[in-house]
Amino acid sequence: MEAVIDVRGVEKMYKGRVHALRGVDLKVGSGEIFGLLGPNGAGKSTLVKVLLTVIRATKCEGSLLGAKVGDKSVLSQVGYLPEHHNFPKYLTSRQLLRHFGAMAGVDRSVRNSKAEELLELVGMKDWSDSKLGSYSKGMRQRVGIAQALMNDPKLVILDEPTDGVDPIGRKDIREILTRLKDEGRTVFLNSHLLSELEMVCDRVAIMVHGLMRQQGTIEELTDGQSGYAIRATTAIGSDVRSTVQAKLQGVDAIETKDPTELVFATSDAEVVQPVIDTLRSQGVSIKAFGFRRPSLEDLFVKAVQEHPGGATPGAQRNKKGARS
Amino acid sequence: MILMQTKAMFIDAYRELNAKKLFWITLGLNLFAVIIFASLGINERGFSILFWTFEGRFNTSVLSEAAFYKLEFLTWGVPWWLSKLATTLALISTASIIPDLVSGGTIEPQLSKPIGRVRLFLTKYLTGLLFVAVQIFVFSFGSFLVLGIRAGSWEFGLFLAVPIVLAFFSYIFAFCAFMGLLTRSTIAALLLTMLFWFTLFVVHTGEGIMIFQREEAALRMEDGPEKIAAQERFATRRIEQLREQGRPIPGEGDEPLPEGIPDALQAINPTLGSAREELASAETAYETWSTWARVTSGLKFVLPKTQETIGLLERNLISEDEVSGLTDMIEQMNQEGGGNSGDPRLGERVEAVYDARSIGWILGTSFVFEGVLLGVCCLIFARRDF
Repeated sequence: MEAVIDVRGVEKMYKGRVHALRGVDLKVGSGEIFGLLGPNGAGKSTLVKVLLTVIRATKCEGSLLGAKVGDKSVLSQVGYLPEHHNFPKYLTSRQLLRHFGAMAGVDRSVRNSKAEELLELVGMKDWSDSKLGSYSKGMRQRVGIAQALMNDPKLVILDEPTDGVDPIGRKDIREILTRLKDEGRTVFLNSHLLSELEMVCDRVAIMVHGLMRQQGTIEELTDGQSGYAIRATTAIGSDVRSTVQAKLQGVDAIETKDPTELVFATSDAEVVQPVIDTLRSQGVSIKAFGFRRPSLEDLFVKAVQEHPGGATPGAQRNKKGARS
Repeated sequence: MILMQTKAMFIDAYRELNAKKLFWITLGLNLFAVIIFASLGINERGFSILFWTFEGRFNTSVLSEAAFYKLEFLTWGVPWWLSKLATTLALISTASIIPDLVSGGTIEPQLSKPIGRVRLFLTKYLTGLLFVAVQIFVFSFGSFLVLGIRAGSWEFGLFLAVPIVLAFFSYIFAFCAFMGLLTRSTIAALLLTMLFWFTLFVVHTGEGIMIFQREEAALRMEDGPEKIAAQERFATRRIEQLREQGRPIPGEGDEPLPEGIPDALQAINPTLGSAREELASAETAYETWSTWARVTSGLKFVLPKTQETIGLLERNLISEDEVSGLTDMIEQMNQEGGGNSGDPRLGERVEAVYDARSIGWILGTSFVFEGVLLGVCCLIFARRDF
């Protein structure tokens, strides 16, 4: 798959020794929906801003849509919705779309029809002559997404697109994202809403303290952590656990903190049937049995907790003279 | 694409100013100023306001109608309305352009478009100037119509006010943009710009005072030897009279010179002493004021020349012949009133100093200041992370 974003070793050190990015490698393929997760201050927005030339990287190698990162001309093929956008309140949504269309180099005739089409798409047609100052946050977000699509972009970068949007609006946005993917565009999402990402993303990456911790499809990331779980009514003793493990040669147990639970790394239900028999024979009552795959939230929490200080909000600040 | 983006930014700037209402308020005030301009007049009987004539010597016999309106345009239209009140309103209206551009949430979508940072910044700067250009043009056009309709003189030279006042505003607005970029605050940028503008006024006034004092001392130095010579001639004649009369002359024979008196001439004519002291004092004053004039002129050299820039309009719009009748009348009134208008040579000398400053020097040094400031702005804007 052709890479739309392909960067290596991206670093950003702000004044005051704040190390926002610490050598990030990222590859996003054409036509996929890619989700970037991370706690506050992980460097997600900084990474996006580096790609869009809003922030100058301390070090960056690689390309965006085949051009060197920093090449302004390629931005005519990129649509962007910033996280805390503040579009001019004196403009109507139609005026805003036409303005940003012109700034992106879209011809007048095209941008006029495109603006109408996109206002319809994001459900803002009836408000197209009202000024943005009178909009709710969700409405501004919808117009912001339309703005990011004005130039018919090959790559759409959306930073927290569902921020402030109600559940119906979120569903609409998910549908828009799917439609964009169907049209062959690449969508890059920054979001805290893990369940949203899980629903639409083909691949995700987890970033903690300026470093990319994990990257891949959700299946790839959960590989080795999915399996059949058996839950007993009471805690399962270590002797019982040893007996059960002995019965299942070649199938690994997945570590779990719940003492009433046993989890085995297999997707074959037949493999774990003897375990149920053994547990029953040992007098253990079975409460539940089923296949379990960790959620994106589980992966996220794990990745954050594994990193020292990962749960602490904010980018890492280096000690004077120290280089990490 | 460059034209398309530039046009979009200008339209956006218009919408922003339009939303603030100040564009229309300032435009309305401009038209009001033109109405006042038109309501004043001069005829063969005297000075008129609307339909009322105030009979007097100030009539078309001393100043033609065309010269009256040009003078009106030059004495209050440009220096008071355009370059003070309207400029203040324009600054209030446009001071937010750069701070708004660099505010969080606004700058990101702009920078993520295929437009260079320097072009983005400079185009935004130019949108502020366009606002002022429109306002000056409206006032100049109104004044042009008034002059044409009321005085029958279609003076296209009035439109020189557009580039000249625009140049003047651009110096101040460049500073405002610089402050807006540094502080990201409209209020801070506005207040600091007002302070800067006041500083320019102080430096200009200060230099004017220094030059005036220096030229006054120079004039005294020039006149001093002649005054001394006159007093010496008087004293010599007096000595000759005394000698003829056989009376003692200080410093000759047994007659000593009074203490502190250098020669017989001064002993005979104490006014000669005053004249000599006056010359010595003028020489000292000249040295002192020359030093200070050099310091203030040096300071002014690097700063934009706001007053002189506005003054360029006067150089080009009205001739001395057109106002000679008025000048004569004022001189006559001064004489009749026993007033002392001072040594006319002093005014001429000071004026000559300013006239010696070429248009190239005035505009050139001012644009260098503006260019350096904008260059620094572009550098900061191009390198800053948002």
